[in-house]
Amino acid sequence: MLVALSLLIFVLLRLAPGDPIDAYINPSVPMSASDLETLRDRLGLDQPLPLQYFGWLRAALSGDFGYSIQRSGVRVLPLVMERIGPTALLMGMGLAIAIIVGIAAGIYSAVRRNAWPDIAMSVLSFIGISSPAFLSALLGLYFFSVLLRWAPSGGMQTAGAPFSIADVLAHLILPACLLSIGHAALIMRYMRASLLEVLNQDYVRTARAKGVREFWVIIKHATRNALLPVITLIGSTVGIAVGGAIFLESVFNWPGMGLLLVNAVGTRDYPVIMGATLVIGVCVILVNILTDVAYAFVDPRIQVA
Amino acid sequence: MRMKTIAIAAALLLGTGLPTIVQAQSPKTIAGGFDVGPGGFPKNFNPLVATGGFTWLSTYFEPLVIWNAGLTELEGDLAKNYTVSGDQLTYTFNLVKETWHDGKPFTSKDVKFTIELAKNKASGSLLAARLGDVASVEAPDDSTVIIKLSKPNGSFLSILSQVLILPEHALAGMPPESLATSTWWSTSPVGTGPFKFKKYVTDQYVELAADDDYRGGKPKVDVLINRYFESPAAAVAALRAGEIQFTYVETDDAASFKTDTSFKVIEGGSYVVNYIGLNQKVDLFKDLKVRQAIIYAIDRNAIIESLYGGAAKPANCGYVAPQLVPEGLETYAYDPAKAKALLTEAGWDKINGDKPITLLTYYGSPQAANVMAAVQSMLAQVGINVVPRVVDTPTYNGIVYKEGTPDWSAFPMVYAGLQNGPNPAGINPGLNKSQIPPAGFNTMRIEFDDLSAAFDKALGETDASKLDAAWQDVCKVMNKDLPWATLWVANRYGVASNKLKDFVWTPAPAGGPYAAHPEMWDIQ
Amino acid sequence: MTVVAIYPPVARKTKGPLRRALDRFIENRAARAGLLIVIPVLIAVMTYHWWWPYAPNAIDLKAMNKGPSATHWLGSDGVGRDVFARLLQGGRISLLVAVCSVAISIVIGFLVGAIASFGGRVVDATAMRFVDLAMTLPPVIFLLVLASIAGTGIAPTILVISLLSWPVLSRMVRARLLELRERDFVVAARGMGAGLPHLLFRHGLPNCIDILVVYATLQIANAILLEAGLSSLGLGIAPPEASWGNMLNLARSTVVLEQYPWQWMFPGAALVLTVLAINFIGDGLRDAFDPRSDLS
Repeated sequence: MLVALSLLIFVLLRLAPGDPIDAYINPSVPMSASDLETLRDRLGLDQPLPLQYFGWLRAALSGDFGYSIQRSGVRVLPLVMERIGPTALLMGMGLAIAIIVGIAAGIYSAVRRNAWPDIAMSVLSFIGISSPAFLSALLGLYFFSVLLRWAPSGGMQTAGAPFSIADVLAHLILPACLLSIGHAALIMRYMRASLLEVLNQDYVRTARAKGVREFWVIIKHATRNALLPVITLIGSTVGIAVGGAIFLESVFNWPGMGLLLVNAVGTRDYPVIMGATLVIGVCVILVNILTDVAYAFVDPRIQVA
Repeated sequence: MRMKTIAIAAALLLGTGLPTIVQAQSPKTIAGGFDVGPGGFPKNFNPLVATGGFTWLSTYFEPLVIWNAGLTELEGDLAKNYTVSGDQLTYTFNLVKETWHDGKPFTSKDVKFTIELAKNKASGSLLAARLGDVASVEAPDDSTVIIKLSKPNGSFLSILSQVLILPEHALAGMPPESLATSTWWSTSPVGTGPFKFKKYVTDQYVELAADDDYRGGKPKVDVLINRYFESPAAAVAALRAGEIQFTYVETDDAASFKTDTSFKVIEGGSYVVNYIGLNQKVDLFKDLKVRQAIIYAIDRNAIIESLYGGAAKPANCGYVAPQLVPEGLETYAYDPAKAKALLTEAGWDKINGDKPITLLTYYGSPQAANVMAAVQSMLAQVGINVVPRVVDTPTYNGIVYKEGTPDWSAFPMVYAGLQNGPNPAGINPGLNKSQIPPAGFNTMRIEFDDLSAAFDKALGETDASKLDAAWQDVCKVMNKDLPWATLWVANRYGVASNKLKDFVWTPAPAGGPYAAHPEMWDIQ
Repeated sequence: MTVVAIYPPVARKTKGPLRRALDRFIENRAARAGLLIVIPVLIAVMTYHWWWPYAPNAIDLKAMNKGPSATHWLGSDGVGRDVFARLLQGGRISLLVAVCSVAISIVIGFLVGAIASFGGRVVDATAMRFVDLAMTLPPVIFLLVLASIAGTGIAPTILVISLLSWPVLSRMVRARLLELRERDFVVAARGMGAGLPHLLFRHGLPNCIDILVVYATLQIANAILLEAGLSSLGLGIAPPEASWGNMLNLARSTVVLEQYPWQWMFPGAALVLTVLAINFIGDGLRDAFDPRSDLS
């Protein structure tokens, strides 16, 4: 699977227009032919393609992902690994907010279906879903950092200040909240739909008929079953989230995976792209396995392959 | 839900965020986005491979000679003064007294080491080709350097201004091959500049500390910080939030800062001529009449007035500097009727008609999008149907620079820019027939004999008094032949907080270097 | 609808099922509101070139960045183009792209998810690893490559958006059907030798309808936003052609974001309103075709 992924990325990268040298040239400040040759030599791009791939694969299998092309002398694996922390922090915080808010609002909305709080929340959630990530990021930045100055405008810590947890939290909170908007809205929609579906099922009506209190019907019988598609959604989201929130990380200059990958793609830094994609791939597979386990936990009838 | 998250954000921020933000920093600090914008080269620390970012690099490394802040002439930096022999083959530099940041004295040996290293391709140096005329570097005593050239080179000093001098004692031990991939550059570089390298927090910022024994006096601030931003918009936000005191900004943003009294807008020429390149390998633009029609059809003055706020000069050849532009150029004033007539005369119906023509660009800014929309609309009025396409820089280069036979139909027209100063030879690689890829950057494959001859003559001119006239000839030929539809040279902007005192910045191509004297910068 | 076989609906009226569904749909207030929004939007978007004086790409450098007024109802943009005309033209393009790409990704997503869950362990494992692969691939790279191969325009945009969005749906369909697979009536159907198509369309599809409807309504918004992302990468609907995504992209400029809000707020509002309306209709449709809704 991972080998297939690496081969696929390798082929796609070579199909993509532009190579690391093209990324180095500023079209308005041209370089001479011999400068370009110097670059090509330094970047080691003169080998035939299959040789490059198998060379990379052999090294990768022994844990060596090579050096970044664009950052002189930086090894890929540590570079990628040090991005997992910030991404996990941002995504963890953002998704935690999203899951709590989304599930709670979804349940409430489904129960009070078509009452005005449901409609109000629907409208809000659709605003959340329909705002492009870059727009909510820029608006959030504008209001909370520039106008109100409640939160710093970017980065993970204050430049030049000594490291402190409070400082990181202050930098974290705004992007995390902005990140949670879209996810919370999405989770809320699926939770609401799924719960409505479940509330019509026989066992829920049975439970009601048995005289179980409505609150417990919803929490114990309905919610648990309604969670299945929501768990899948969260699983998929986490999987994608490992790759970082590209726009948000760019706007807030958060040193996560998304930023690394975007920079690497922008400079066609092949080894970093390969390394980062593989690490993301491992995480996605792990998360998907966890999701399957979570199904079995929620619904014991399901046997996981 | 949005209200909820906002409320949570507010609550958490009040709890945790504010104290750390309010905390005053005791050392005097200037923070800026010094690598934002076209002159920057964020995350590069090695001056030998730099194609930009010299504004920042020259705060801790220094060259022998440097442009003045107006980019009008070169002055000494690590060279106290210099003399050039009558045959323009021998340059003698008298060096200043300075110590490296690690305390070792700076001597002529460092200069000799650096120039020889920069000449050595094995080090990955991108200066190697430009220093090709250097025959020898001698260090007769500690404070004198003599450089001999194999043939006269009018741009030699200008090239030398981008050779930042490196410490021999720190680098001589490393083989040149390993220098390019060394982490020395981003962890412990040693320079001679007013600030010394303190630390680099990956992809976030670089921190420098004052070098107390700098020859120009102890710097007035203790800490200089260069923050990295992924987009000019993010840098603008940080500037307005008061977190940084300086950044490059886009033209649109500059306009909104002009009315704000707590900021100062710094304006300067970009030294980049914008043009519409017309690919000579496609059959569309071989007829001069078609090229004339295109330039007549574009109302450059209206675009400059409305989209650039008047801050651009229309270009009728590759130059706008007064000493390079001869009298009596055709101005190609906006005249759509004439454009239509020229197209009819050329038989545009048969050449292309209204089939779509791709207009490729690497300029992704909102302003460039507006320019492209205006150009498209103006050309449509005379019957030329162009379809703008914006791609990222590597994609652009991958398309236009491809060796052999690229897909010509992918870039029949481009909207691009090329550096045309301070050294006027800058546009030669884009227009001379000897510079067709892979030899150079003539991506439009322009093979006009008279234009190439004019370039060759100007490049070979050793008599300084005849130099301007030679470049004027280049301008004249460009104006007549129209290898490009030249558009304008726009201004670029930086915005500095009014808290800064004696701050010097200019939008120099590749970031200079120029004499910004960071040791004088101060903050209230 | 399989439930129909088990619980025959109480025939209180003599109307056919379709007629009753229609009645229920009309009675649903939210769905009616949805229709009241979507139909005028569709009509306006399709006919504007007959009744609106401005063309979407006509520039006017003398009337740049003007706020809403009697001549330009929604103001003008950075090169003096009429925002209302661009909004309608953009709606035409964006809705076309969104609806087509959602339809395609639903087909792919449902088939992959359903076949994985009914097809047995080997098929399931293979299909899910394939989905993993598709989800792991960073979209940026995928887009860059497609940008060079597919180029710009409506058809490539639809293709790219469909290809990017099906994996999440297929995982959700699979999750639902894994649970369904264990239910008595499906086990019974399998025991009686029902084929895969029967399982897919008689049992799978009706039981996924809520997921599909929610996905479709949400994905419409997502597709429009994806298109915005694509056009900023030199793919998708290339400016200066109008699309809602392109118009929202204008907000990337700080000046437009702050000083000319009408240039991005109107397309943003149009997007939210349309998505909201489509969702109400989707909800109404789902309820209308749910045979149990008469019982409660």
